[in-house]
Amino acid sequence: MILQSNDLVKSFGGVTAINHLSLTVEKGTVLGIIGPNGSGKTTFFNLVNGVYTPDSGRVTFEGKNITGLHPHRIAELGIGRTFQIPAPFTKMTVLENVMVSTFIRASSLKESRKMAWEILELVRLDDKGNTQVANVTLEDRKRLELARALGTKPSLLLLDEVMAGLTPSEVKAAIELIRSLRTRELTLIVVEHIMDVILSLCDRIAVLDYGQKIAEDIPDQIVNNKEVIRAYLGERYSARH
Amino acid sequence: MELQASKAQAVPVPSVWRFTPLGLLLVICLILPWLASPLWIRIATEVLMWAGLAQSWNIIGGYTGYLCFGHGAFFGLGSYVTGLMMVKLGWPFGIGLLFSGILASLLAVIIGYPTLRLRGAYFAIATWAFGEMVRQIATILDVTGGAFGLQLPSFLNLRYFYYVMLAVTGLTYLTTHFLLERARFGYKLLAIREHEEAAEMVGVDTVSIKMKAFALSAFFPGVLGGIYAYWVTYIHPDSVLGAQLTDFMVVMAFLGGIGSLWGPFLGAVVVQLLQRILWLFWGEGTFYLVIIGVAICAVVLFIPNGLIGLMESRFLSPREAVSQLRKTFKW
Amino acid sequence: MLIDGLLIGGLIIVVGIGFSLCFGVMHIVDFAVGEWVMLGAYTGYIMVRYFGYDPMIYLPIIFLIFCGVGWMIYPLIYRAVSGKRHNPVIMGLVFTFGLSILAKGGALSVWGYHIQSITTWLSGKSISIGVLTIPALRFAGFVFGILVTILFMIFLYKTKFGIIIRATAQDRDTANLLGADVRKIGGLVYSLYAGVTGMSGVLIGTLFSIHAAMGAKYCTLAFFVVVLAGMGYVPGVIIAALVLGLLQSFVGVYIGGRYTLVALFMVMYGVLLITPKGILRRGI
Repeated sequence: MILQSNDLVKSFGGVTAINHLSLTVEKGTVLGIIGPNGSGKTTFFNLVNGVYTPDSGRVTFEGKNITGLHPHRIAELGIGRTFQIPAPFTKMTVLENVMVSTFIRASSLKESRKMAWEILELVRLDDKGNTQVANVTLEDRKRLELARALGTKPSLLLLDEVMAGLTPSEVKAAIELIRSLRTRELTLIVVEHIMDVILSLCDRIAVLDYGQKIAEDIPDQIVNNKEVIRAYLGERYSARH
Repeated sequence: MELQASKAQAVPVPSVWRFTPLGLLLVICLILPWLASPLWIRIATEVLMWAGLAQSWNIIGGYTGYLCFGHGAFFGLGSYVTGLMMVKLGWPFGIGLLFSGILASLLAVIIGYPTLRLRGAYFAIATWAFGEMVRQIATILDVTGGAFGLQLPSFLNLRYFYYVMLAVTGLTYLTTHFLLERARFGYKLLAIREHEEAAEMVGVDTVSIKMKAFALSAFFPGVLGGIYAYWVTYIHPDSVLGAQLTDFMVVMAFLGGIGSLWGPFLGAVVVQLLQRILWLFWGEGTFYLVIIGVAICAVVLFIPNGLIGLMESRFLSPREAVSQLRKTFKW
Repeated sequence: MLIDGLLIGGLIIVVGIGFSLCFGVMHIVDFAVGEWVMLGAYTGYIMVRYFGYDPMIYLPIIFLIFCGVGWMIYPLIYRAVSGKRHNPVIMGLVFTFGLSILAKGGALSVWGYHIQSITTWLSGKSISIGVLTIPALRFAGFVFGILVTILFMIFLYKTKFGIIIRATAQDRDTANLLGADVRKIGGLVYSLYAGVTGMSGVLIGTLFSIHAAMGAKYCTLAFFVVVLAGMGYVPGVIIAALVLGLLQSFVGVYIGGRYTLVALFMVMYGVLLITPKGILRRGI
């Protein structure tokens, strides 16, 4: 068990974004998280990642309690994360972006550079290594986002809606890429809206609604789960079906 | 900003000729006091001081993206501390300078701890308030001579001050070059500037790095302030702690090019030159402020990367310039 | 002394509201706010010198003049803030900073370091309200402040334009999608702000002295008010301005005039550190 969240609660003002959420992720697996908009998926990532501190509850990673630690510390411990909307360092080149993330693993600038090139090759961005980020397409920025997260050599990777905004062929390429990551002893948690992607990538799926987990199961069971259908499509639809 | 694509490749064998302009500059700087008249030595000393100050500001403002509008306070602190240490405690000049620098860094840490948490605009206002507060305090306290300032004995000659200023400013640039342009520290600062949250997420300890940058950026003004105090022998809250000090630092860095190594130097030279030329033609006055104001606005609008940026990208053709102007005013 | 503080505060509200709105709607910290005050004061002074009559008469004219100037400058500000390549808040800050240097330099060059002031028919007179005798001019300044505030409030909360402005302040992108021309709104807000601030400059010129470097003082006061109120939160400005006035009077009387600015700074500094979103935590 690589990650465990226990009874997490997080509110903003009057809104409870995460309402007693408990999740467990097994090492080496891919967990998908789905749910309607506002169900707390990104907030959950922010809690795991250290961007937010939960009001109560705990997050344990590889046996260590990481609740409330700073994001950079959590990155050091081995959790990587991508942003929903790519947030690259705009005034640098693609390579330099990835280099920054390798600083916690490499002992010198030279080694950082080497590691960064390797990662760029992995995500097939090596031809754009010396290009300024400003001149790079959205799809490439998403790859860069992934590359940068990989730079910290994480054992757990949080992917936040990587597919958003990509064309169908780009989505295919992205799925291939993520699949190839699995062979590298990486545990993945994937948040997505596109059902096909989730179904094809994940070992297990958790469904969130209003900050609570309403279902967690293997993909085949999830699609037939009444609660899930109701959450996504509403009461009347599920009543009819 | 100035991390060009070429840096990403393996460092090529430096051709000796690349260092020629730098070498020439160095030679000129070194022999200037023996060739120039006292007036020019004074002007050069002042330019050097500003070059150092602008670069110090650049460290926290340009590279890290945290615009400190109270940076002059570190300069003033250095002036007063060095002056007082030497007058009241009889410390030697060098020790006084070092102490000033360290004290300034300490102050930066104290102030930085709460303020670096604030976002862009708030940080600017908070540091601006801090700067003004320091000035007010100096005006009130008796030990600093209050509103009457501090008179210091003069003891060294012009040339000596020139070399000391050169040495310290040179140190500023060397430090910036080695710690910021060629090292991980610099990359981290840029990452913080570009997207602090993402930097945090890839393992950059933003809190600690920002503090280090701020402390570093305060050290040099502290020392330069100390040199200045003895160079002009009379310091006063308005002269060493006034907002115009920070104003100039900011202008020079922006005009030359924030986030670059030579930008602040270029900015300092241009602004000082401009000031003197205007003084020559219009008499000692304040008109140069108008020009400076226009210059900053122009820089922000048209060349946000400063003069250095201008030299690196292609120039706008007249047609492009006109269409840009049209776009600005079109409704 | 209490009253005095409140009265001064009333006038400062005007400056604070415009400034706060400026930040709220366009996310621009106008470093030149003090300079608008200064220019307004000088414009009033010029008009009185060359055309005679009472400065109060010129208030509406000055309002229009400054609105116009603001309207013309705004496209530049917008441009500075919209470059894709840079941090917009920083660029806006530095740009208005440049404007303030320009204005100050211009004023210094034209009028030098001399201190002027303007007088009106109210100067030196007093009004009796109940048991209190107050200087008429300060009272007028206060009334002016309250009037402008009320007008602003009505405008923001009861008119169509006002609602659009508040919507843009809260969520720019959505407002944009809903059809609000964010750029024109920004221009409108900035012109109003310039006009109102310029007007208040005239009154300030009658109450206090006018000199080219006075901008820094009013910039400080504007910052103070807005920091306490929370950037962008307009109702808070009223309270904050009154607090400012009271604080100034209090320190001036009990501790010593020299310490007023230090006290102001310390309070502002403290607030920024403890509750950066303003005392009521409603800022942006």
